[in-house]
Amino acid sequence: MVEERSEQARWDGVKDMLGDHRVTLGGHWSFNLRNDPKRLAFVLARYKLAAKLACKGRSVLELGCSEGIGTPILGEFATRYTGVDFDEDAIAVARRNWSDARFEFVAADLLRERIGRFETVISLDVIEHIEPEREATFFDAIVDHLTPEGMAVIGTPNVTSVPYASPQSQIGHVNMFSAERLQQRLEERFEFVFPFGLNDEVVHTGYAPMCHYLVQVACGPKGVSGD
Amino acid sequence: MTDERQTEWDAVKESMQHAQPVELGRHVGYWFAKTPRRALYATSYAKFAAKMIGRGKRVLDIGCGEGLGTWLLAKECGEAQGVDFDAEAIAVAEANWGGEPNCGFTCGDAFELGDGSYDAVVNFDVIEHVYPEHADAFLDGMQRLLSDRGVVVIGTPNETAKQYASAVTNAGHVNLYTAERLEAALRERFKYVFLFGANDEVVHTGFAPMCHYLLVVACGER
Repeated sequence: MVEERSEQARWDGVKDMLGDHRVTLGGHWSFNLRNDPKRLAFVLARYKLAAKLACKGRSVLELGCSEGIGTPILGEFATRYTGVDFDEDAIAVARRNWSDARFEFVAADLLRERIGRFETVISLDVIEHIEPEREATFFDAIVDHLTPEGMAVIGTPNVTSVPYASPQSQIGHVNMFSAERLQQRLEERFEFVFPFGLNDEVVHTGYAPMCHYLVQVACGPKGVSGD
Repeated sequence: MTDERQTEWDAVKESMQHAQPVELGRHVGYWFAKTPRRALYATSYAKFAAKMIGRGKRVLDIGCGEGLGTWLLAKECGEAQGVDFDAEAIAVAEANWGGEPNCGFTCGDAFELGDGSYDAVVNFDVIEHVYPEHADAFLDGMQRLLSDRGVVVIGTPNETAKQYASAVTNAGHVNLYTAERLEAALRERFKYVFLFGANDEVVHTGFAPMCHYLLVVACGER
């Protein structure tokens, strides 16, 4: 009994060290965790890849941050982080959950307005929702928010995974990319593009048509001057 | 076994029989005899580099040894040239892959090749053998061989793994890098530096001090 109690006391001490950072997730991520919890691993793996390759010591803009589920990982590496989404409810959740002097959340539509220049722009799971005729506007928005030595990280499900997608995904995904097409679009606007694939949470450089998800890292934006 | 299946296999065999036999020289032969998994790891690093470089490119592989990785790069990227100062290794490389139109080898000093026209310059397990006082010249030399739109890929064991290395390995390693030092050396020369780690054949972006091997991709010459 004594030992049991002392272990409890030790654990209470550990708990005190953890502080109190309780978070109530918003609708989007509460839904995901209830319906398909493993998706959290897949999504965070994409953020970790972006954080490790393109955020260390850099100012970061996330285009389409939703509830900011990736903000803590990106913010761990970035000097400052700005999350933007046109969904005001999601931005309100992000602001409530991830308060940090280096983080800022903005409700805006970056296909229509510009909010500054950043060393890195991250955009995951956005481009597949943009109608093909507005696709160029999306890529322009990315480049227009970059400094001359800027980088971009773009992630989207592979077009080859469409037959396996849920009905909701299929309705929302109006512009699916192959690795080849994504790289072509990025090479029009960047000097260098490095393509990766993910299956579940594993990042690799395997045969592109069999990657479930695509992440491409682009650097050297064309036509960005250092004014 | 039915005769039919035997006949099918004979057809498969026939289709493969005319491939020129590949010879493993002293170095790759040593891997297969003593540390066979090294062949897996080295091939995995070359594949990673090939994927980062992309297709339709001209690649220079410095310290190519017996040229297995050079051939992989030629096959995946379009064209590759291997260079090594070890004449015996180059002879093996030449015998195996020298007949391929998109793959060639030179014995000698890479930095005497001279022109800055390669789309990519790679080296694996080379820089840890370069004396620290020559390391800057080595990196400068790589940069000179590269076109201004070129990509560099360097692979080298992590300094933190030294304690586990064999006596043979440690005897040759005079310039081991930590991730920080490797990244810093490349940042002086390139605008963009991407650091990866590998444990066995798996290339990843995990905590650098625990990576057994370091792979760095750099581009955008300063």
